[in-house]
Amino acid sequence: MELIRLQNVLKQFDKGAVTALNNINLSIEQGSFVSIIGPSGSGKSTLLNMLGALDSPDSGQVIINGVDLSTQKDLSDFRRHEIGFVFQLHNLIPNLSVQDNVEIPLMDSGLSEKEKHRRALLFIEAVGLLDKRKQKPNKLSGGERQRVAIARALVNFPSIILADEPTGALDTKTGAKILDVLRFVQRSVGATLIIVTHDIDVARLAQRTIEIRDGQIIRDYYNRR
Amino acid sequence: MESSVQTTFNEGGAEITVTNETNIGGASGLLNVSMIDEIRNMTNVSDVAGELQVIEIVNTSLPSQSPLARMTVYGLDSSKLNLIGIKNVNGSVYEENSTQAIVGKYYCEKNNISIGDNLTIYGKNFDVVGIYETGAMYKDNSVYVSLDKLQNITDTYDVSSILVKTTENANDTAISQNIEKKYENISTLTSEELSSMLDNVIGILDSASLAISGLAIIVGAIGVINTMIMAVYERTKEIGVLKSIGWKSKKILIMILGETLVLTILSGIIGSLFGILIAEVGVKFFGTNGFTLVYTPQTFILAFGITIIVGIIGGVYPAYKASKLAPTEALRYE
Ligand SMILES: Nc1ncnc2c1ncn2[C@@H]1O[C@H](COP(=O)(O)OP(=O)(O)OP(=O)(O)O)[C@@H](O)[C@H]1O
Ligand SMILES: [Mg+2]
Repeated sequence: MELIRLQNVLKQFDKGAVTALNNINLSIEQGSFVSIIGPSGSGKSTLLNMLGALDSPDSGQVIINGVDLSTQKDLSDFRRHEIGFVFQLHNLIPNLSVQDNVEIPLMDSGLSEKEKHRRALLFIEAVGLLDKRKQKPNKLSGGERQRVAIARALVNFPSIILADEPTGALDTKTGAKILDVLRFVQRSVGATLIIVTHDIDVARLAQRTIEIRDGQIIRDYYNRR
Repeated sequence: MESSVQTTFNEGGAEITVTNETNIGGASGLLNVSMIDEIRNMTNVSDVAGELQVIEIVNTSLPSQSPLARMTVYGLDSSKLNLIGIKNVNGSVYEENSTQAIVGKYYCEKNNISIGDNLTIYGKNFDVVGIYETGAMYKDNSVYVSLDKLQNITDTYDVSSILVKTTENANDTAISQNIEKKYENISTLTSEELSSMLDNVIGILDSASLAISGLAIIVGAIGVINTMIMAVYERTKEIGVLKSIGWKSKKILIMILGETLVLTILSGIIGSLFGILIAEVGVKFFGTNGFTLVYTPQTFILAFGITIIVGIIGGVYPAYKASKLAPTEALRYE
């Protein structure tokens, strides 16, 4: 079943001087695991932002679950319930502890405080940071911050998980563990997982790989198991 | 400000004060004692007293013009003390022709003087036998001794001013005009004129302090707005994170509003405490020549109101702008 469709998506920056996405057409299946690769500056993050409703195209449509996002006035509910986003720059809130950062998406979930804590700790443990749950982000290494961001993205069991270079700052072993966590959540809730990576080995783990260059899709293929 | 001054201004006993108009080296000239009896015989005059004023420099390390360097000594018959509006004397009143003195309550407090202490006036030792109070600080800042004694030791047989008490319901202005007509080179001042002069001074002080507080408010407001804008601007990225996680703009605004309120109320309290501290220290330092500090609730309500309004403008406006950005744009701020 089709979950996401992009139609003739164009995104420019600096008054048209930079074309980050040039006429993208794309369809992504519900529950699939897709990787996006391409050189630096090719438009990967911009594309992921479109898929996560964090930014809107200059022209063309982003349609998720049959809904054209440009017709929606307030996307905050959609973001909170459906999207788990791991940023390339982890974007944690500096004056909140690891645990509090992870609990932010549960703010309006209606869960009890106890259940929120339990859920948050579950994911903090999954990314291997249980002993650092009380730390502030500035006391953590880059890779640890990235893992907190992943726990935060997953804590509300989103139906679409978007991760921008989730393993970029991690060593191979930790990176593999993090990917396991991402895939575990993806499989257990039947979520769609889309990751941006420059690591071809990581990209191959996905069922499907989309390669972009200069804002255009140049290859789109399924990986052999 | 007006309330600050009026709490210590009270009407003296005499309604009219007559002084010599000619000024000799900053001090006014003297009046002949014969005038006292002449004025006493005028219609509607109930009592008259002559007063001699001398200035003693008590602290030579200060410039002689400084109020702290000077002690003003008056000679006045002890039976006429009511004419200067003395309400009560703690201790006893000086005896005529003695080297006894009574000292104003405020002067005592300022210079740590108590009954039994000695004062040197024109090289003579005077004993402090009483402490008087008129309720008006500028009057309670002097020393009174027997007129005869003071005339004697200063070798003066004139007075510096004549205090005139009028009968009830008398027209003070008419009487003072009569006195002015009768003598050359004198001037009179009625208590009404004095109070309207004081009102004028207070008025000037009031508008000056209004201008100063207006300026302070504007400068403070700009400071607060700037601080809040910077504080919220720095959090644009945080706002982006919250938006990307799915927080509503409204919720973000309410959060910032709450924080702004806590911050501004706290700073309002701290600011008020500092204001009081500075005012009290200032008064301690410069002395209150006829002033007492009065804190009206309105002052604080105004200060708080302005702080909160200004804080909200400074805090919520940038937060509103940030919450309108696309999450990715907000996230780009460092
Ligand atoms: N907000 C922006 N303003 C101006 N230019 C932008 C903006 N966002 C992206 N760009 C430009 O758009 C192009 C695509 O950027 P994007 O971040 O999508 O690249 P990327 O593929 O994610 O690169 P990397 O692998 O380095 O993260 C780049 O040329 C970038 O400079
Ligand atoms: Mg990128």
